[in-house]
Amino acid sequence: MRERTVGEKLAVELCGIPLKTPLIPASGTLAKEALGEVEGVYGAILPKTTTPLPRTGNPPPRVAETPAGMVNSIGLQNPGVEQFIKELDAFDLGLPIFVSVAGDTVEAFGALCERLSEDGRISAIELNLSCPNVECGGLTFCASPASVEEVVVACRVAVPGKPIFTKLTYEGVVENALAAEASGADALTVMNTIPALTIDAHRRAVLVRGGLSGPAIKPVALRAVYEVARAVSVPIIGSGGVMSGLDIAEFMLAGASAVQIGTASFVRDPEAILHEFVSYLDGVGLGAADLTGDLRGIRG
Amino acid sequence: MKFYGVQVEDRERVGNYIVLRYRWQGPIEPGQFVMARANGYPVTLDPFLARPFSFYDHDGEVASLLFEVRGRGTALLDHTSRMEVSAPLGQGFRIDAAAGPSALLGGGVGVAPLKVLSRRLGEVGIPHDVFLGFANAATAKVAREFPGAGVATMDGSVGTHGTVLDAVPDLHGYPAVYACGPNPMLAAVKREASERSLCQLSVEERMGCGNGSCNGCAVPVRNGGYVRSCIEGPVFSAEVLAW
Repeated sequence: MRERTVGEKLAVELCGIPLKTPLIPASGTLAKEALGEVEGVYGAILPKTTTPLPRTGNPPPRVAETPAGMVNSIGLQNPGVEQFIKELDAFDLGLPIFVSVAGDTVEAFGALCERLSEDGRISAIELNLSCPNVECGGLTFCASPASVEEVVVACRVAVPGKPIFTKLTYEGVVENALAAEASGADALTVMNTIPALTIDAHRRAVLVRGGLSGPAIKPVALRAVYEVARAVSVPIIGSGGVMSGLDIAEFMLAGASAVQIGTASFVRDPEAILHEFVSYLDGVGLGAADLTGDLRGIRG
Repeated sequence: MKFYGVQVEDRERVGNYIVLRYRWQGPIEPGQFVMARANGYPVTLDPFLARPFSFYDHDGEVASLLFEVRGRGTALLDHTSRMEVSAPLGQGFRIDAAAGPSALLGGGVGVAPLKVLSRRLGEVGIPHDVFLGFANAATAKVAREFPGAGVATMDGSVGTHGTVLDAVPDLHGYPAVYACGPNPMLAAVKREASERSLCQLSVEERMGCGNGSCNGCAVPVRNGGYVRSCIEGPVFSAEVLAW
């Protein structure tokens, strides 16, 4: 049999969209200024979450380092969807563009999706269901299956022609995944950051109250992907603490069809991560698309 | 973020500060910064992030950073023989040859970018005076690297007793002002400088990534909202800043 090329080994498909690699930047971790650094790495581009109106974001400090991770509280700073649409061409690398959206209400989610539904540059929409300042209260938007259903149904109606991904938080992830799938979500992004807090003991003050990301959360995210994969039949985009090529393989083996890289791109060159993944594929003699859910000797 | 492995050429202790030199070719603008750390993944996951440092010096072959050991990241930089650095980042000081005599003010380890800036101003023939403020004599030792600079210490052990502004006879008289140091010092410089002056401030803010992606290093601006220190800064025109 003919040896597959690197490109053939890396190619995957997500909701009918061919991706040159299974890697996608997690929303809010790849600025347009940094696009030049990641050529050839990602299979799709996913800019920072957009909201109906501009958001100034939270006052600093917004980031705090923790062992094997960081806590951020950016507050969805973004120029609003109208400006986002004007600037979207900057993200055109000839790759599919997935757009992350967040609203304060179900209606806002629906209106955002409607605004983006006819834009031919956008291949899919990711619903960010863990924004920090929203109708349901708390860090997590829609921790309950009922509210996930409401949002996904509203967006499904607004975007009949594009795949919808639903980005879920850790809490209640299986129930929420089932609700999203039943409501018409085409794929599930599992998972978002985990609520976390850092304190400056010297100043006796809260430093950052936000979401924990980085390798510290990887085992938690892996378990979430694994559990969700056993419960649903739609594809899963794994996310949470991916730092290396082996981590990508682990998420895909747990059941992911594609994998998001976020915080890792702040401390590593994503190209190096991709190279590690290629080495892994060469070692096991498989292509990326073969890995999804291909666990042997599954325990519990 | 792309990091480059570099060999640490040498280290020099200057009072409480450390000058760390490493081989780096390519252009560096005064006021630009670098993300640096002793070891990258997977050698260490704590500290997890790289640290931003202004360039202290560069001769075209060897670059140097000036820092004080304050936490685990800087403690490791004090001992490592190899480190990882990014390429020069951010917007540095803009030099306007028509602006005229310039005042350069540095506070603490924030004196770092003034060395390259002072040399650049000298090259283009702009007369300038350097003023440096420190907490005490141990940190003020680095002032010897700035011949002719006016010096102030908060404890009065070296030079003028007080802040760097107390060492400046007439800040209002300078048509151009460049400053780097803690943000409260920069706010004071902004208040004291002439409104007609070209006043540029290099701000300090916590950074996550250094390449604009994380939006962590938010700097409040006058018309509302925030900009990123790592991309739009770290040097800003004083009138742009909210404080």
